[in-house]
Amino acid sequence: MIASGATSARRARRLVGWYPRSWRARYGDEFCALLECELDEHPRSLRRAVNIAWSGTLARASAAGLAGMPDEGARQVRASLAWLAASLAAFLAVGLTVWSQLVVGWQWTSPSTPGTTLGIVVMSVAALVLAVLGACAVVPIVVAVVVQMVRGRAHRVVVPAAVVSLATTVLVVGARRFENGWPGTGGHHWAQQGLVPGGVAAFLWAATLAISSYWAHPGALSSFPGPEIAWMVVSPIAMGALTIGSTMTLRHVELSAKLARYELRLGQLAAVAMTAFLLGAIAWLSDSSPRPRSVPSDLFHVGAIDVVAAVVMALALVSAYQAVSRGISATTRRLA
Amino acid sequence: MPRRAKTPEAGTPAPLGSFGRYAGPATLIMSSLAGGAKHGYALTKDVESMAGVRLAPGTLYEALARLEGQGFIEALTSEDRRRPYRLTAAGVAALRVHLDAQRLVADEGLRRLDAGWAST
Repeated sequence: MIASGATSARRARRLVGWYPRSWRARYGDEFCALLECELDEHPRSLRRAVNIAWSGTLARASAAGLAGMPDEGARQVRASLAWLAASLAAFLAVGLTVWSQLVVGWQWTSPSTPGTTLGIVVMSVAALVLAVLGACAVVPIVVAVVVQMVRGRAHRVVVPAAVVSLATTVLVVGARRFENGWPGTGGHHWAQQGLVPGGVAAFLWAATLAISSYWAHPGALSSFPGPEIAWMVVSPIAMGALTIGSTMTLRHVELSAKLARYELRLGQLAAVAMTAFLLGAIAWLSDSSPRPRSVPSDLFHVGAIDVVAAVVMALALVSAYQAVSRGISATTRRLA
Repeated sequence: MPRRAKTPEAGTPAPLGSFGRYAGPATLIMSSLAGGAKHGYALTKDVESMAGVRLAPGTLYEALARLEGQGFIEALTSEDRRRPYRLTAAGVAALRVHLDAQRLVADEGLRRLDAGWAST
């Protein structure tokens, strides 16, 4: 069977859709021309379809800084930083959910077993290190975005930067509004006796309230106040917008070679802190020491959702190491 | 055998051997371009007649993109959508080094076959 020219052209355009926009801008027309010849010659080929789907997926991963040869200098570095930010966001979303509930529990009573105590302390130190590293990383990026705006070259970062600002505002205002919605989150008079200040624990508990096993128990969820359920819907949208806005900003911000190297070094340190955080979580998850009867068992109880969170953190950590490694390889080659 | 090729120094193109699973297609493409500039479909047909291998479109363009990124080939201007590619000076040098190395292996392998397996 011979495909007609119009049919081949239509099928070729559809196949090229597997590739990312940047790739299509460079190779799209000539690749379409090749595919039309191929389709005219062999209208049906599963091997060809699979090959194009696989190559297109690889090209998308490459555009995101995850695959391909790290030889595209500044673009590769920005893609790696963006992927690192996305990995860190996934890690923190689940990691801080677990950690905030543990440190809220510590306000009521300290853990009675060494594994849980050590685990929470390690997670807390790692969280503090990540916060400091985050501040050190964000400030120069904000300055770079502002400089780019002042110079009138900010058309590609204005929208993502605005999304980041809006999502951050929603998260901060919402978490402040709901942080004392439950007595255990810092609104009680023992709030200062925990491992970390009650306000910090309560704020992060509220910000990550949506990541909860309550979604699997509609009966229990229905007893929540309406505004709190609304917040559990809005907050993950805000977190998603914050992540996407941050990655898009990093993809388009103009970074000097020096600043890019600085950010990647911070990324390396962040990966180390993430490893420590995960090890702390594993110490708690694997703590099988018997608990004294005087301590309420559910304060540091390990649930299935916590195991899932650890798996997500492990995957995000591997992804973060990969992003940093590729970014550093690119800086040693052709950082323009 | 190392799992991953060592990252070359800044500014130096990676040798063809570091292209991983694209080393084979890259060698075929460059060998074809050694006979003159060609666009994608002409490359596919030429490689097929030269080596009996039909490069799938995705593989062909993945290898072309890597070769272009390394500065081994360059795209020529074209009036239609089919853009021809040709070897650069760096590509000629890299292909010669790569093929010389392959010839050494092939010659040595054949010599050993002739010496040890001539009677079978």
